[in-house]
Amino acid sequence: MIARIAYAFREMWASFRRNLTLTIAAILTSAIALLLVGTTLLIQRSFDNLLVQWKGDVALIVFVRSDATPEQIALIDESIRSAPTIIDVEKLQYLDKTQTYEEAKRIFAGDPVTLSLLTPENIPSEFKVVPITQDPALVRSLSEQYRSLPGVEDVALAEDEFEVISTLSRFVRTVTLVMSLVLLFVAVGLIWNTIRTAMFARRREIEVMKLVGATNWFIRIPFMLEGLLQGLIGAVLSCGGLWVLNSAWTSGVAGFKPGTGISSLVVPSGYLSGVMILIVILLIGALAGAIGSAIAASRFLDV
Amino acid sequence: MIRLENVTKRYGSETVAVRDASFDVAKGDFVFLVGPSGSGKSTILRLVNRQERPERGDVWVAGQNVNDIPDSRVPFLRRSMGNVFQDYKLLTGKTVFENIAFALEVIGKPRHVIARQVPIVLDLVGLAGKEDRFPHQLSGGEQQRVSIARAFVNRPLILLADEPTGNLDPATGEGIMSLLDEINQTGTTVMMATHDHRVVNAMRRRVIQLDRGVIVRDQERGVYE
Repeated sequence: MIARIAYAFREMWASFRRNLTLTIAAILTSAIALLLVGTTLLIQRSFDNLLVQWKGDVALIVFVRSDATPEQIALIDESIRSAPTIIDVEKLQYLDKTQTYEEAKRIFAGDPVTLSLLTPENIPSEFKVVPITQDPALVRSLSEQYRSLPGVEDVALAEDEFEVISTLSRFVRTVTLVMSLVLLFVAVGLIWNTIRTAMFARRREIEVMKLVGATNWFIRIPFMLEGLLQGLIGAVLSCGGLWVLNSAWTSGVAGFKPGTGISSLVVPSGYLSGVMILIVILLIGALAGAIGSAIAASRFLDV
Repeated sequence: MIRLENVTKRYGSETVAVRDASFDVAKGDFVFLVGPSGSGKSTILRLVNRQERPERGDVWVAGQNVNDIPDSRVPFLRRSMGNVFQDYKLLTGKTVFENIAFALEVIGKPRHVIARQVPIVLDLVGLAGKEDRFPHQLSGGEQQRVSIARAFVNRPLILLADEPTGNLDPATGEGIMSLLDEINQTGTTVMMATHDHRVVNAMRRRVIQLDRGVIVRDQERGVYE
């Protein structure tokens, strides 16, 4: 068993070096493709940060003054619930101060000045309202109604704050996703071609291996490892690139004027989702390499 | 050990390589397949090691119907047979030792087995002391000896040889034949395709003669004629 594993890695490494130019091309292409995949994920993640408070069809947010009494809060709750034909009572959510503060940490991730002014004590709590009605005019009139209730600080309408960003987010996401898919496809193709060339260069060896009774998997595995390694190296490179890109963006955004919407368009480094994105990229890279080389290895094994 | 039952093999729709061939080779036999180029000798060897599948009929090797073996088990069938070719098929980038070791390495034999087996078989084929040479540093006869060593190092039941003397002068060819004879004496069944009259006539072994894919003669202790 150890002899087999040692053999596979030795062969992989030998072949890797023999085909250096093609290998570098394949690695760079997958690095760029994966960089784009990562950028897509990061953009999506930062838009999610920006839009976190509007998740789940929330159309209206009623901010309750931080000094509101429990009675006032109960009254607001009751009056929202009094229109069950217009709003979805089941989906009505109340976030207390602590929960709202957690949410604010994401929204103002790139805007430490604003965030530092907020504490779990002075922050408003909020009701999130999901309407049943499709009529925007009706939702707007509801918001006027809530605004006049005692203890209400403000009412925010998705229509005013959310729609533009949401449309922009969808557009950016689609464009980058399509581009990264195309590039990923190219990367798989290049890895496929590299492995095919490597196998062609060693067709005599493969012929002898088959004649003396080496199993197809034994022949295939070094080539598949080679492709996998190419994808993985590409992924590592793109992770590095992504880290640089994200740090530059985050520090750039921190210099913006507080309060501009852009300020939540960041994924602070060290943030868990950032690590998740890196892991996802490594996985995609390895998978792309394995797929490209697996196709090559099974199609060109008959020599 | 090897049995063909009414085997027919065609390449494409036109060329009949083997037509309705039947014969039986016992364990330890030495058989010549003779006939002009294109008469189907190589095809029979390729049917036995399952590089080809028959269109009709059955090929049996060591009691197994080769046709019934799933693709994934074919490597294990091939481990029971060695192959020798006219052009040796040695790996030019590897030394004599490495070429022979390669055959054991790729079927997963551990290093200590390889280190023990390779010198034994090198000695058998008369190449002791040349293990560090590369194929291009050897004569044709020596290269063929390396290829026989590679085919035999795993102690196969069957040795298939396709024109092993085809590229060699008569004296060198004789040496190769006595080596094959020696291997046959160990109990290995040998099947050799050739159109070398001299070799066949000198050995006086069983001869199966083919003409355009049809067996026209199957004779014990035969000659080429």
